[in-house]
Amino acid sequence: MRIKALPRWPTASLTARLALLFAAMTASLLIVVGLVMGRAVDAHFRELDDHELSGKLNLIGNLLQRADSPQAWAALPQRLDDAFVGHDTVGVLVRDAEGSVIYAVHVDHFDAAHAAGDALPATGAMWQKGSRHFIGRETLLHRPAVADAPGEPLRVLLSLDISHHVHFLEQVRVRLWLGIALSAVVSALLGWLAAHKGLAPLRQVTDTARQLSAGQLGVRLVEGDAPAEVRELVEAFNGMLARLEGDFRRLSEFSADIAHELRTPISNLMTQTSVALSQTRTADDYREVLASNLEEYQRIARMVSDMLFLAQAENGRLPRPEEAVMLADELRALVEFYEALAEAQQVTMTVQGAATVTGDRLMLRRAVSNLLSNALRHTAPGGRIDIRLDCRAGRVCLSVSNPGEPIPPDQLARIFERFHRAGAERSRHGEGAGLGLAITRSIVETHGGRITVQSADGLTTFCIDLPQRLTGA
Amino acid sequence: MKILIVEDEPKTGDYLRQGLAEAGFVVDLVRDGLDGLHHALGGEYDLLVLDVMLPALDGWGILQTVRRQGLEMPVLFLTARDQVEDRVRGLELGADDYLVKPFAFAELLARVRTLLRRGKSKEPEVLRAADLELDLLRRRVLRAGVRVDLTAKEFALLELLLRRQGEVLPRSLIASQVWDMNFDSDTNVIEVAVRRLRAKVDEPFEPKLIRTVRGMGYVLEAPEAMG
Repeated sequence: MRIKALPRWPTASLTARLALLFAAMTASLLIVVGLVMGRAVDAHFRELDDHELSGKLNLIGNLLQRADSPQAWAALPQRLDDAFVGHDTVGVLVRDAEGSVIYAVHVDHFDAAHAAGDALPATGAMWQKGSRHFIGRETLLHRPAVADAPGEPLRVLLSLDISHHVHFLEQVRVRLWLGIALSAVVSALLGWLAAHKGLAPLRQVTDTARQLSAGQLGVRLVEGDAPAEVRELVEAFNGMLARLEGDFRRLSEFSADIAHELRTPISNLMTQTSVALSQTRTADDYREVLASNLEEYQRIARMVSDMLFLAQAENGRLPRPEEAVMLADELRALVEFYEALAEAQQVTMTVQGAATVTGDRLMLRRAVSNLLSNALRHTAPGGRIDIRLDCRAGRVCLSVSNPGEPIPPDQLARIFERFHRAGAERSRHGEGAGLGLAITRSIVETHGGRITVQSADGLTTFCIDLPQRLTGA
Repeated sequence: MKILIVEDEPKTGDYLRQGLAEAGFVVDLVRDGLDGLHHALGGEYDLLVLDVMLPALDGWGILQTVRRQGLEMPVLFLTARDQVEDRVRGLELGADDYLVKPFAFAELLARVRTLLRRGKSKEPEVLRAADLELDLLRRRVLRAGVRVDLTAKEFALLELLLRRQGEVLPRSLIASQVWDMNFDSDTNVIEVAVRRLRAKVDEPFEPKLIRTVRGMGYVLEAPEAMG
C-alpha cells in the first residue's frame, strides 16, 4: 500500500508542520488586528491634530478681527506672541498680499520653500524636518479696514509639530511587530509541544515495530492516554500483533506436528527393517516386513499429498471453481460410496433437499467425503447420519449431523486445525493424520463459503455454508 | 508390449524398470531427455513413461517432438509437483495420463495397463473367471451356475476385477473406477465393499477368486492362472 506524499512538504515531520501552521495562524491573525488598530489610532491622532490646527487658526482669526484700530494693529504681534507663548509646537507665518512678513514665530518649522513664500494647500500637508514631523495648512484671513488703511487679505501659514504622535505610533508599531513575532514563536512552540505529546504513541508504535521479531510477538502497546485518532491505530496495531502471534504460534505448532507425525511412521520403519535384517528369515517373513513397510509408506505419502493440497489452498493456488454442481447428486454418490461401510457399522444415512452451487465437483466431493467419514467414525452402531441441503437467502447450507459424544467447546474451536484429532487417545488404525477437516475447510473457503460445527445434546452438526448458484447463471 | 522409461532419478528408474519387466513388459530405461527423445522416435514403443524434470530436454519437450512426428503411442507423465498448470499443460500437449510422486507401483502398473488396453479389442459381452460368469447385457452374475444378486456398485466392482483379471488393483483405482471418487478416503470403505462382494460371490464357493495383496490392493485370479 502506498500513500501519496503531500506535494508541498515531502519530508517535514507532522510536528514541524503543525508548529509552523500554529505560528502562521497566530501571526496572520495578529497582523490583521494590528493593521486595523494601527489605522484607527492613526486616524484618531490625525483628527486630534487637525482639530488643534483649526483651533489655532480660529484664535489667529479672532485676534485679527480685534485689530481694528492702528493701536490694536500695532499691538497685534504682541498679542499673538502672548497667545502662542509656551506653544512650542506651533509655527505661524502671517504675510500680507505683497509677501512681507507681518508676524512670524518658529519659522524654522516650515519647509524652506514655504517659508520663502510657496503656498501650502488649504486641505493641509505633512512634512518632515530632521527628526521632527509637522502638519500645516494655509488660509486667507482678512485684516479689517481701519482709518488709515483699507482691509486686506493676509496669508496665514500655520504648522503643528506632531513628532510626539508620530514617534508614539512608531513605537506602537515596533512593539506590535515584536509582540506578533513573539506570539508566533510561542504558539509554534505550543503547537510543537501539543503535536509532539499527542503523537508520542505513534513513536511508540514505530519503536515497537522496529523491535519486533518472531520471538517477541507478545509485545503490546499501551493505549493509555493516547488521543482518539491514535488510539485507533494503536488498537489496530495491537490487533495485528495478536493475529500475527496466533498465526505464528499455529505455524510453529504445525511444523512441530509435521515432525512428530512423520517421526512415528519413520521410526516404525527403521525399527521394523533393522529387526528384520538382524537375522536370516524366511521369504514369508521378509514379505510380511515389506508389506508392513508399504503401509507406513502409504501413510506418509498420503500425509505429504494432503499437506501439499493444504499449502496450495492457503497460497490461493487452487483453480477457480466454475462449474455448476448439483449437490444432491454429489451427496447421493457419496452416500453410495460410504453405504457398505455404514451398513457394516449398522449406521444409516439420509439425504434431504437439493441445491446447486458454483464450484469444482471433485473438490466439493472431497470436502463432504471428509465430513461423512468423520461422522461415520464417531457414530455408534444403530445411529443415523442426516445430510440436509437447505437454501436460504441466496446461501446453501449443507449440514451433516450425527449422534455422538458432545465435543467439548475448547476442542470445537480447534477441530478444523491441521493434525487435530478429537481425543488424543484415539487409535491410529483406519484414521488419517487429522488433516481431513482442515482440507474440508480449505475447499469450502476456496469456494467462498464457511464451515461451522455445533455439538450439543448428543448431536454433532457440521454446516457448510456456500453461495447458491442462481438458475441460468 | 514395449515400454520406454525416461527417468533421471537412479533408484526410481531402476525400480520402475524392474517392476514393469517383472509384470511382463519389455522395458528400456534412459536417463536424460535427449537420449529419451532418440529412443522414443526410433524405438517403436507402445508406451512412454516420462519424468517431467529431466536433464538436457524436459518431458514436455520430448512429448511435443514425439507428437509432431505423428507418433500416437500413449504417454504417461510422472511429476513431483502436484500443480494444476502442469496437469493442464500436459493434457494440452497430448499426454494421456499423469501420476504425482510419490505413487504406489500398483497404481502405476494399473494405469499403464489401462493405457495399453485403450482402443484395443472389442470387449466381450460375458466376462468369466473359473466358474464365475458376469453377463454385461443381462446385468447378471452366475457362480457355479447359481444366480448371485449384486447391488449396482457390487456389479461394477466385480466387472472391474474381472476385466482386469490377474492385475493387482489399488484401492484408489477401485474408488475412482467404481465410485468416481478421485481422492484417497481415510476410511476402509473399499475393504468393506470388497468384503461384501466376497461374501456373495466367493465365500460359499471354491475356489476363492478374490485375493487381498497386502499393502497393494485386490486381485481376481482363477487358480489355473495362478499356477
